[in-house]
Amino acid sequence: MGRCFVVPLPSNKRLLRTAMDWGSLLPLLHKEIVLEWRQRYAVSGIVLYVVSMVFVVYIASAKPTPPVWNTLLWLIVLFASINAVVKSFVRESGARQLYYYQLAHPAVLVLAKIVYNALLLVVLSGLALVAFALVTDCPVQRWPLFGGTLVLGAWSFSIAFTFISAIAAKADNSATLVAILSFPVVLPILLTLLRLSAAAFAPLELSMNPWPDIRNLLAIDAILLALVFVLFPYIWRD
Amino acid sequence: MWWKIASVVLLVYTIVAGFLVPLKSGIERVEPNAADANQLVSIRLFGYNTFFARPASEPIRVWLYYDDERALRAKKVQVVNDTIMEAVFDLPATLPDNKPFVLLNALVDHPTAGASLLPAAFTLRRVDTLQGPLDRAWTADPVAQLHLQEGFSFPYQNILYETIRNTYFHVPMWFVLLFLFAASVWYSLQYLRRSRLAFDRKAAAYAEVGILFGILGLTSGMVWANYTWGKPWSNDIKQIMTAVALLVYIAYFILRGSFSDPEKGARLAAVYNIFAFASLIPLLYILPRMFDSLHPGAKGNPAFGSQDLDNTMRLVFYPAILGWTLLGFWIADLRARYQRLHDKAMGLE
Repeated sequence: MGRCFVVPLPSNKRLLRTAMDWGSLLPLLHKEIVLEWRQRYAVSGIVLYVVSMVFVVYIASAKPTPPVWNTLLWLIVLFASINAVVKSFVRESGARQLYYYQLAHPAVLVLAKIVYNALLLVVLSGLALVAFALVTDCPVQRWPLFGGTLVLGAWSFSIAFTFISAIAAKADNSATLVAILSFPVVLPILLTLLRLSAAAFAPLELSMNPWPDIRNLLAIDAILLALVFVLFPYIWRD
Repeated sequence: MWWKIASVVLLVYTIVAGFLVPLKSGIERVEPNAADANQLVSIRLFGYNTFFARPASEPIRVWLYYDDERALRAKKVQVVNDTIMEAVFDLPATLPDNKPFVLLNALVDHPTAGASLLPAAFTLRRVDTLQGPLDRAWTADPVAQLHLQEGFSFPYQNILYETIRNTYFHVPMWFVLLFLFAASVWYSLQYLRRSRLAFDRKAAAYAEVGILFGILGLTSGMVWANYTWGKPWSNDIKQIMTAVALLVYIAYFILRGSFSDPEKGARLAAVYNIFAFASLIPLLYILPRMFDSLHPGAKGNPAFGSQDLDNTMRLVFYPAILGWTLLGFWIADLRARYQRLHDKAMGLE
């Protein structure tokens, strides 16, 4: 019991070093999935959200041109992602979170959340794509590039939104706060994703070289992830 | 203290020099601006800040030139007044290029008042029936030995004209914004390390003044764009990115204000400040290079610095950046001190 009250402060290097245990990543990931499965109504809510949004967009613009199709799909994915990720840090009680922080280093904890949210977002954006492609004409020609863009997008959104929702969870009006805090931050990511997926609409020989954009996106992800690891310990400390 | 005086001195210098130094002479337009080949044509040139009527010992030379080797020199030149002159050209039958027409630059060289130029001033149209080797007239009298304009003056650029002076007001805003936001992040880092509210106050003050300079840069840019691009907002990537950068910092203040516990608000706002600044670096440096932009230095535009910024402009531009930066830090400093007194009066410290 005595150990429970030694909350490792981020400035304390000795505690940081001993607690950096990547082995707890998989159990934590498993915990997230089990938790989601036990609260199925939450994830079903998001799925329903995606489907109804696709339907609303379909009714509002029956035959979108490829650039419009691109924008609409990414808007659906963006809003679904925000709604899926926003609850990451509020669905468990503060006492239970304190308990997790005794078991694992905050960096490992946040990485588990990011990986879990990324998996969730891949599923959600895949679902949005299938639903949207069913009701409209899908202009995609290079599927590997487009699929890769969706996965990269899910991963990037997951990093940014998980971190922002961790900040916003400490405030009271967290849902609004997540939107206003994260939209400006994800804008460079979103612009790059839009370019990349637009490249997947043209046949291989006509389209632009996607690699500079992919490299930029990976660089942004690397910067954000490094910052998350450095800054997250300051967020949960209360 | 000394840097506050320096800021005032530099800004007074910037405003005085920026507004009072005249532009170099240039040619505004020529009339007519197009003609068929193989005829005698009289062209009227309208100058800007020119002194065509100034007495000269040598003759005034006027060219319509295609490149360094191929140029047509006027047969006869007649000065009407300081800004208007007439030149008679004997247009040859053949063109220096195989296209149906060529664009020629107009160049006036006055022995005492200096040279002035209008790029792509005159369209010379091919007459289809006339073919053959290049006429002798093109190479007989190439552009040579121009007289440079003396005195301290800013470059004359078509489209820009007098608005080139905005370089000393619009462009430095951008530098100051970046310096102020960097200082804000620095104080946020200090806050996370030492947990003293003074650092949080400074971070907020610098971000606030950064927003002020961002708004100034945006509006001065919009006024400029209204003259040069035709409308104040053209969804240029740099305009969008600046607006987004401002949104980030407005979100920072909303986050900072949404906690009742000032220590907690300061800590989370500091974390967001660092995170947002790091995601702004790709926003402000990588993205504008990947999209077409109307700003100089982007795709299809001449690079800023080599052509647009000549040595006389540098003499005002660099002091302007320094002066505006010092002013920005001065305002932020005052703001942080005011906030400290305010907090003290409210009993927060």
